[in-house]
Amino acid sequence: MSKTILMVDDDIVQLELFKKLLTSNGYICKVALSVDIAESILKHEIPDLIISDYQMPVKDGFDFRRILLQNDLLKQVPFLFLTSVNDNNFVQQGLDLKAIDYISKGTPAKQILSKIDNLMRSVRQHYEKSLSEIKGIAEKLNLRNTPSATPVLKNFSVSFFNTSYQDHPGGDFIDFIQVNERFTFIILGDVMGKKWGAWFFSFSFLSYIRSAIRLCVYDGNFSLSEIMAKLNRVIHFDELLGDIFSTLSIVLIDDDTQKINYAGAGDLPLLKYEKGKADLQSYQSEGILLGFLAESNFNETEIELGSNDELYLISDGMIDFETAGVKRSDINIFKSKLHQLKESGKSADDINYILFNKNTTQVDDCSIITIKKIKNEDK
Amino acid sequence: MKISKQQSGDIGVIIIEEKEANLSNSDEFKELILEEITSGTRKLIISFKQVEYLDSSFLGALVAILKALLPYNGKLILTDMNDDIVNLFQLTRLDKIFILHNDLENAVKEF
Repeated sequence: MSKTILMVDDDIVQLELFKKLLTSNGYICKVALSVDIAESILKHEIPDLIISDYQMPVKDGFDFRRILLQNDLLKQVPFLFLTSVNDNNFVQQGLDLKAIDYISKGTPAKQILSKIDNLMRSVRQHYEKSLSEIKGIAEKLNLRNTPSATPVLKNFSVSFFNTSYQDHPGGDFIDFIQVNERFTFIILGDVMGKKWGAWFFSFSFLSYIRSAIRLCVYDGNFSLSEIMAKLNRVIHFDELLGDIFSTLSIVLIDDDTQKINYAGAGDLPLLKYEKGKADLQSYQSEGILLGFLAESNFNETEIELGSNDELYLISDGMIDFETAGVKRSDINIFKSKLHQLKESGKSADDINYILFNKNTTQVDDCSIITIKKIKNEDK
Repeated sequence: MKISKQQSGDIGVIIIEEKEANLSNSDEFKELILEEITSGTRKLIISFKQVEYLDSSFLGALVAILKALLPYNGKLILTDMNDDIVNLFQLTRLDKIFILHNDLENAVKEF
C-alpha cells in the first residue's frame, strides 16, 4: 500500500519538486503552502510522514511541530524538518521538538529519497516488532478469540477460516463449546469495529457467552432463545460495554438426533449449500444487536441438513468487496461466488484460498465457519 | 471528518460529506454527534447522500448515538442511504431500530 507524505513549505517551486520526486517513486504526496492549510488537511487524513520547512510566514515549522505534539494522534506521525538554514541552533531546536531528523534543501534528490525510504522502512520494522511482541504476549496469556482446534463429531464436520484486517488482531471471534458427546455449540461473533479496540472487547463478549451457555446448560436449559435473552440482558447492563456492540450467531448441534438449531443477534444470515440447488439458502434470525435493548426476543430456527449439505456462518467482512477503488457490501455477490465454487467441486481449502488470496482486496476482518453433514459411508 | 450542519427549527441536520464512513472517521463522528446531544439536540437527521460505503465501525458509532438519545426520548432519522447500505441495515436487522427515510424533506416531516 502506498505511503502518504504531507509536505509543508511556503515555496511552491520546492513543493512541486518534492511532489514530483515522491510521487514518481511510489509515494502519495499531499502538499500545503502554510501551516494552516496543513492543519486542515490533517483534520481529514493522517499521513505516514510529515516533512515541514522551518521558515514560513505567520506560523513557522516550530509552531507547526508544537501544535502536532499537542495532538495524541498526530504526535505519533514521524516528522522531518526541511531546511535551507545550516545553523546548528535551528537543527538542534528542531530535534528538541522530537523531529526524527532534518533534510537540507541542497541535498541531492537521490539522497533525499534514500533517507525517506530508510525512515519509512525503519518505522515499519519498529511497528512490526511491537506487533509481534504484543501477539506473543497474547499467545502466552492464552488470549485467543479463535479456537486452536475444531470439535470432532460423529455426524458433522466443523471447520473455520479467519483472517484479520491488515494483519491486526480484530473483532471477529469464534468458539466451540462441546458440552458432552451429544451437544456442541458453535459461536461466531463480530464486535463492531476493527483492530485492537474490537479485539480487546471480543474477550468480554466471549466470556459472557461462555458463562451464559454453561450456566443454562448446567440447569438443563438448551434453548438458544433463552440463552440469547439472558446474555443480552447481562451485556445491556454492563457499563464497560455501554457503547460497544457485537453481532452473534449461535448454532447448537445435537449429534445424536442430528438436529441443528440456530439463533442470532444482528448477524448476517446463515447460508446453506445443497448440491444441485440454484442458490444458497439463507436463514435470517430476528434478533437485534446484543445489548442494545434490555429486553429483546431472539427466535430459534431448526435447520435440516442432508448428507453433504453445508451450513455457513459468516461475519460481515465476507460480504465487503473493493473493485476499482470502490468499496461495497453485497451478500449476493458472496453467495453467488461461493455457490459457483461449490458447484465446481472445489475443496474447502481451495475455496478459502480463492476467497482470501493476496490478490483479493480485504476491507475488514473475515470469518467463515462451515458445518457439513457427513455422508453415512464417509464416517 | 467532513460534515456540514444545518438547523431546521429544533431539528439538527448532519450531512456526511465523505464517500466512506469507516474506522478512520467513526470515533470523531460519534464524538461530534454526542456533543450535539449533550448540548441539547434531541431531534437529529443524518444524511448519507454522499456516502458510498459504510463499515461496521461506523455502524457501531450510529448505534451508540441512537442509544445515547434513548434516555432523552430523542429521535434519530437516517436518510439518503444507497441500496447497498439499506440492504446491510436490513440484513442485520438495524432497520428495526433505526428510522430510515429516502430523503431529507420527508425526514423533516416525520418529526
